[in-house]
Amino acid sequence: MNQTATAQPGLDSPGWQTDRFIVGAALIGFVLLGGLIWLETAPFLLALFAVGALLGIALYHGAFGFTAGWRNLVVHKRGAGFRAQLLLFGLSSLIMVPLLNSGQPGMVGAIAPVGTSLVVGSFIFGIGMQLGGGCGSGTLFTVGAGNIRMVVTLLFFIVGTVLGSIHLPWWLDQPGFDPVPLVATFGVPGALILQFVGLGLLAWWVNRIERRAHGNVERGELLWKPQEHGVLRTLLSGRWPFTWAILILAVGNALTLAIGGAPWSITFAFNVWGAKALEAIGVNMGQFEFWTWDYPATALRDSVLTNIPSVMNFGLLLGAMLAAGLANRFNAASQNRPEGRQFLAAVIGGLLLGYGARLGFGCNIGALFSGIASASLHAWVWFACAFVGSLIGIRLRPVFRLPN
Amino acid sequence: MARAYSRAKIVAILAVILVLILADHIQSPTFAFNSGHGNVDTALMQRDDTACAPCGAPCPSTRK
Repeated sequence: MNQTATAQPGLDSPGWQTDRFIVGAALIGFVLLGGLIWLETAPFLLALFAVGALLGIALYHGAFGFTAGWRNLVVHKRGAGFRAQLLLFGLSSLIMVPLLNSGQPGMVGAIAPVGTSLVVGSFIFGIGMQLGGGCGSGTLFTVGAGNIRMVVTLLFFIVGTVLGSIHLPWWLDQPGFDPVPLVATFGVPGALILQFVGLGLLAWWVNRIERRAHGNVERGELLWKPQEHGVLRTLLSGRWPFTWAILILAVGNALTLAIGGAPWSITFAFNVWGAKALEAIGVNMGQFEFWTWDYPATALRDSVLTNIPSVMNFGLLLGAMLAAGLANRFNAASQNRPEGRQFLAAVIGGLLLGYGARLGFGCNIGALFSGIASASLHAWVWFACAFVGSLIGIRLRPVFRLPN
Repeated sequence: MARAYSRAKIVAILAVILVLILADHIQSPTFAFNSGHGNVDTALMQRDDTACAPCGAPCPSTRK
């Protein structure tokens, strides 16, 4: 294969190859898009673009997939991936809940109403995760890493979010109540303790499942030493131990909050991209109530380069592309072309992901990760409903010839 | 392993994305503001503190 080249010596790397074309393309993308953001918007957006790239690298090199983590627990009764997510939520809570309640002006947490819309949306999202092959972050970083099947999922994810945005006002009128920030009732220490009790109970439940099935618990989520290569090579080409990814994702979300004023979110950008595409072919999105609300209307009217989730998503895509190039795996991912039922699963999964994310006030990042890091009740409801939906999605996978 | 992707396609896809971003930006209030047009409402400070969800949705209690 002539697109690869042996990398630099001195990284204990006999045989380490990188995909120089992909690495070069990603770096040129960073320079062009970063330059445009720098010239045309504000420095804080360039910083968020860089944070997005870092998150993309961490997701790829850490192989940090929410979908696979849940499926491994359900199908293979192995809980390292699931426990890694619990550790991530715990660490992020510890950093972000005090930060959000430190009295700094201009910061707002990922809180959302609790009601029919949330329950239905997160349940649908859970099914979509397993059929589409990824969640919000998973879809994005695998697309950046060259996975063709996930491109199909992403396109229909975008279609689903736009459909969801059109229907969301109706869903909001169904039974439900206003957001419940746990800090308002229990204070910062109380909210943190409550969340840690919840996360601890979940960890106990996961351990119990794993121990019953295998007689032991694999502590993959606690590994911090690289398994195959030295630190520098592992940092550049993966695969990272879970602890590295957990640390970078937690710090990245906290940086997003500190720089952008709100925690990390992904799917609102898909909404904006889809709505802009429809406007470009003559659809007046202003006829739909969602697009008359202040934030969506402003985001739709202005440049995607001023929309924080969009800018971070661009960084994430390029970061994952860079990481896949450094790991020399972009080529392998590109061979995964969906056909027949697998293509159908990507279409249906994408639509369910998008529609569910809009009704559920975000995906596994905006609603679950950032929601728990903001100590919002809606995130816990989202977690439970999406997991139940995921159980159904896992059962449906064989119908679409997807391996479990 | 044979190369599964086409370099030309990768370059074309990245170029199309960049052109779409540029086309969107050139029509935006931020670009107008940067070009010296005043009285333009840009989205640089965009988070709606009064909204009830990250997507800008209102609170159920405020809906009639």
